[in-house]
Amino acid sequence: MPEKSFRAAVIGLGRMGSTFDDEIEQGGQFFMPYCHAPTYVASPHTNLVAGADPHAEQGEIFADRWGLESGQIYADYREMLEAERPDFVSLCTTARHRAAIMINAINAGVKAIWAEKPFTLSLTEADEVLDLCDRKGVAIAVNCSRRYNVFFSEARRMVDEGELGDILQITAYAQCNLSHNGSHAIDTMNYLAGGNVEWAFGEMESDEKATADEDLMGNGYLAYDNGVRGFLRGTPTGAAPWEFDLIGTEGRVRFLAQGMETQYYRWVPGGLRDQGLPARAPFPLPTQIPSMGLTVIEDLVDCIETGRQPRCSGKDGRKALEIAIALRESHRQGGRRIDLPLADRSLRILSVEIGGDAVPARVRRMQRT
Amino acid sequence: MYRAAVIGLGRMGSTFDDEIQQGGSIFLPYCHAPSYVASPHTELVAGADLHAEQGAIFAKRWGLSEDHIYGDYREMLAAERPDIVSICTTARHRAPMMQDAIEAGVKAIWAEKPLTLSLAEADTVIDLSTRKGVAIAVNCSRRHSPFLTEARRMAQTGELGELLQITAYAECHLSHNGSHAIDTMRYLVDADVEWVFGEMESDEEAAGEEDLKGNGYLAFDNGVRGYIRAMPTGIAPWEFDLIGTEGRVRSLANGTDTQYYRWVPGGLRDEGLPARAPFPLPLSIQGTGLSVIADLVNAIETGSDPRCSAEDGRQALEVAVALRESHRQGGLRVDLPIADRSLRIMSVEIGGDAVPARVRRLQQEPAA
Repeated sequence: MPEKSFRAAVIGLGRMGSTFDDEIEQGGQFFMPYCHAPTYVASPHTNLVAGADPHAEQGEIFADRWGLESGQIYADYREMLEAERPDFVSLCTTARHRAAIMINAINAGVKAIWAEKPFTLSLTEADEVLDLCDRKGVAIAVNCSRRYNVFFSEARRMVDEGELGDILQITAYAQCNLSHNGSHAIDTMNYLAGGNVEWAFGEMESDEKATADEDLMGNGYLAYDNGVRGFLRGTPTGAAPWEFDLIGTEGRVRFLAQGMETQYYRWVPGGLRDQGLPARAPFPLPTQIPSMGLTVIEDLVDCIETGRQPRCSGKDGRKALEIAIALRESHRQGGRRIDLPLADRSLRILSVEIGGDAVPARVRRMQRT
Repeated sequence: MYRAAVIGLGRMGSTFDDEIQQGGSIFLPYCHAPSYVASPHTELVAGADLHAEQGAIFAKRWGLSEDHIYGDYREMLAAERPDIVSICTTARHRAPMMQDAIEAGVKAIWAEKPLTLSLAEADTVIDLSTRKGVAIAVNCSRRHSPFLTEARRMAQTGELGELLQITAYAECHLSHNGSHAIDTMRYLVDADVEWVFGEMESDEEAAGEEDLKGNGYLAFDNGVRGYIRAMPTGIAPWEFDLIGTEGRVRSLANGTDTQYYRWVPGGLRDEGLPARAPFPLPLSIQGTGLSVIADLVNAIETGSDPRCSAEDGRQALEVAVALRESHRQGGLRVDLPIADRSLRIMSVEIGGDAVPARVRRLQQEPAA
């Protein structure tokens, strides 16, 4: 493989596109580089060649931070796609425009897309993007980044190799709006459970919230096609912030405190009536701890070369959205279990991040000071 | 000193404690006869069981003479006039025995779980016991666990902040040991269930009346939400996880470990870290059964409700029935209380109850 063989560009030059990593001072939930620009700069596969954002302030900061010329910063991403012909493009804008931008990027001939979550607002949008992406053979990785965190991928390896026995239960305590960070929570459940959700029951934070299209908190029960059952608490979780608990017949992995601690349990002899005791054992770390962003790039490069699907694919992104919508439908229909897939593809959730997206958060902050 | 008698002289009535070699989930004395013998409030005066083998073992084990062992419990009630009676038979006969005991003038009943098979039976027993002022304690014994009692105290005094979630991993049949699991959830959150969603093991099981495993989502009237997994739980045997805004208590490994978590400064973006702190133990821990008897004596003397009352027993049964109804109705949330009081679950323990388990074992043993 030649050095730096792929040209990469970022669309949406805000926090996730550019400077998110600067906020992080402790590993566990993230290993650096994590967000888009610093990853493209660090990867042996990619050159960061351009950025696009309608807000000039964002472009200036991006150019300055990542050493690009002003000629490499574009206000119109379509112009950028045309002029720079990137192989990789990251989509870090508000979710409102994600589907349209993905479609334009695919039609402009990119090889791979690294998209922020949620994948899209509506199921129709997700269907359109995936249809086009299949036809054109473009790999889309959705940044539900726990799939690229070594603790989670190691747990999944333990599942695949039978070290946890039969998987029975996945529980998530993750206060979130179901589309926005719910994308992370639901996708992580799907990843660890290793199955597809057949039906769901959900309760939303209120009837009013459930009726509307705005993003919302809720809880749910998920029935996977491999027999695993899931419980998600997306309403406030108090002293249990962002936990995942994966329970099998032979072993268990718990991710605690936003992923900063990972616990592994297995049976040891003893206990009441000699039924065994679930004892905590050291969590088996791999020999190397990879950066999460670099793992995404490795994954996408492999997808480009082999044609396989990314570890967190566009289809995974659509599944997370469809489950979130099914949980809300369950509440809307008076507390009824809802089978997937959903027939009404026009259903959507207006991810909470799109609120006030006419002006990016950082630009709003700059205008206030 | 209160006169105490046991009806149903099998395992829970008599010798269960002999099987236990480690504390935590229970402390001894736990089951009925040894508790009456050890309690300063009671004297064990009689036992009743249809099966003579059970009576002979009971008399010998607890030092009663043969004439205090009865084949017919009604005869025992009339002859011995007990103040407190334990009902440790198969659940099939629990309701009529409780009614007969109340009519015979007992002051208090210590009943095994489930309280009854049907909601109608539970209603009848509770109506009668309320009219006659008889205290009924249901032996959902986790209410007498010092750890879970302390967890509830922490919840009630605000040490856990606002309660949000109770999760139970407890493989069980929903009526039989589900009585324990559901009651413990209700006890810890100190609220009633408004509605449930449930999934049973299979459509066939849900359609029948036999006891069954299932999972469910419980909406409590104080805003707490509950999740129970009673389908197989693998390496998470009998856990309760009580989560509040400020603290959390986890009861693990069948109650043999209890963990307490509270916020300490630190963490990503200084949002705080949930750190494990020593679990605060009460000043003294008594045998689980002694705690039940002290509670019942207090109920007799003050008119208070026992810590696990017949109403609590009915609620546990009603939640179990509602979880099954939810599945029967195609996966629909079901509001409580349930209108159809004829609904029932044939608690798994009643299978083969024509001959008690111990008598069956005795019959299988080759003659010496």
